[in-house]
Amino acid sequence: METRPAQPYWNPYVAGVGLGLVLLASFVVMGRGLGASGAFASTITAGLNTVAPSHVAGNPAFAEYLKEGTSPLKDWLVFEVLGVFVGGYLSGMLAHRVTRTVEKGPNISTKRRLVFAFIGGVLMGVGAKFGRGCTSGQALTGGALLNAGSWAFMIMVFAGAYALAYFMRRQWT
Amino acid sequence: MMAPFFKFGLFGDNIGLVVAFGIGIGFGFFLERAGFGNARKLAAQFYFTDLRVFKVMFTAIVTAMLGVYYLSVLGVMDLSLVYLTPTFLAPQMVGGLILGMGFVVGGYCPGTACVGVATGRIDALVLFLGIFVGIFAFSELFPLVSSFYNATPMGQLTLPQVTRLPYGLIVFAVVLMALGGFAGAEWIEKRMAARTVES
Amino acid sequence: MPHFLQQLSLNGRLAFAAFVLGFLALFAGTPYHGADAVLNAKELSLTMATDADQVGVTTLADWIIQGRSDFRVVDLRSEAAYAAYHIPPAENIPVARLGESTLQHNEKVILYAERGERAAQAWMLLKAKGYQGAYLLRGGLEAWKDSVLFPRIPANATPSQVVEFARIREVSRFFGGTPQALAGDSAGRSVVLPTLSLPAPKAAGGAAAPKKKKKEGC
Repeated sequence: METRPAQPYWNPYVAGVGLGLVLLASFVVMGRGLGASGAFASTITAGLNTVAPSHVAGNPAFAEYLKEGTSPLKDWLVFEVLGVFVGGYLSGMLAHRVTRTVEKGPNISTKRRLVFAFIGGVLMGVGAKFGRGCTSGQALTGGALLNAGSWAFMIMVFAGAYALAYFMRRQWT
Repeated sequence: MMAPFFKFGLFGDNIGLVVAFGIGIGFGFFLERAGFGNARKLAAQFYFTDLRVFKVMFTAIVTAMLGVYYLSVLGVMDLSLVYLTPTFLAPQMVGGLILGMGFVVGGYCPGTACVGVATGRIDALVLFLGIFVGIFAFSELFPLVSSFYNATPMGQLTLPQVTRLPYGLIVFAVVLMALGGFAGAEWIEKRMAARTVES
Repeated sequence: MPHFLQQLSLNGRLAFAAFVLGFLALFAGTPYHGADAVLNAKELSLTMATDADQVGVTTLADWIIQGRSDFRVVDLRSEAAYAAYHIPPAENIPVARLGESTLQHNEKVILYAERGERAAQAWMLLKAKGYQGAYLLRGGLEAWKDSVLFPRIPANATPSQVVEFARIREVSRFFGGTPQALAGDSAGRSVVLPTLSLPAPKAAGGAAAPKKKKKEGC
């Protein structure tokens, strides 16, 4: 059992500067920004490709993640996301914040929370496809690069979340 | 100018993957430092009790934006070689709306879900699986949505281009907006905290 | 540190720094300096002095026959000239569009035009823009015609020259050319350039396409 208490989170502005510097490093070293949802799509494509390659090749939504001569998993975002797991775990370990638990508000059952988590994930997947990315790729990366589509996306993310917040209040408050 | 290093051929694809892993570690590390491995912390943004999502995100954006701007102005970096995802206005706005809804329903976004999973959150794991289902469903139904998906293409478009204002002016405007937002966020949080004390 | 900065909290100092940098951005100008180029005169003149900037036509012919795909050949002439004839694996990038091309900074790129002037200018431009692997084809298309397509052997050739010519004859035929028997016999020299039904360009051209399609999105 975890005996040491979890340390408080960092000052959000300092964490933000850290995040911003990581993003900047990505721009300077690779000439590209961060991302996450693309790695999920590459993974699905790789998995499907082993059992139904012609189906994958015939559907542009999957086919765009195929790579000539190598697995879809040999992808920059896939490796980046693997790093995210490691970095997140590292920070969590250092701060004694790694615990097996379900994060939820006090007024909802674990089961309902998990159902909502799943639905939320499905919505995320769909939204990220239409949006050409998620908060990491579009909002952070595109935001820093003053990408017009990314700023539009980002504003709508906040709009959508606030719009539904009232209906989800049982889950969190 | 020598940056972006990869675009100038300083190293190849394989080292690029190692770089990806390293950058990912940094990314995940700071996300967790900020508390983003925890759905309650993330969702609090939308109930005005803890506005750290806004603070972290926009601090990061401003930091990277200023870094990119000044490195480019000084000629250290070639901005035209940094990849800009093309804008598809309508589907991106709809996508953002859906993603935002998913955010408050699920409590994580794809990146933070990974951090949540890494720190043991089972709800993050469930959401993580949901993302796969969402992407799979979208892709299977792609023929039905593809015309909307590809609607309103505008190419690689920046805010300075859209507004026809100088890049530096937009940079200043974003900084002002962010600082104003931070001040507002601090004020809101104080009011919410005071209200909970009263009740 | 100024007094008021000392009084500020960490957040205050961060905000101050952001404001100052944001404010300065109003005067710092455009971040797009991609059209600028930097000439390292010393490095370039040394490269020129050692002929490290050039590739000979017979060397190029050998590379093509060997099937090497570690280089790109760029034809700087107009589209019409390119369509009439071009060295088989060459891509057409008219000089005016050189700036927008998909050339990578670390690729080996061999530039040619009719003779050498345009190629030399393009070489200088690319080197100044940081393209490490730029080379020019010595003698351009004229040299290609002379030495590869329509090679000639002197009437009183030495035995080693005869042997060498036999090899060059094969190279010439590979490219659809016509080896000539006598030196200086320009009347007998065919001015009909071979049609382009040659071994298809290697995936060197194809390698460019997937590179462009490579997603760097999220």
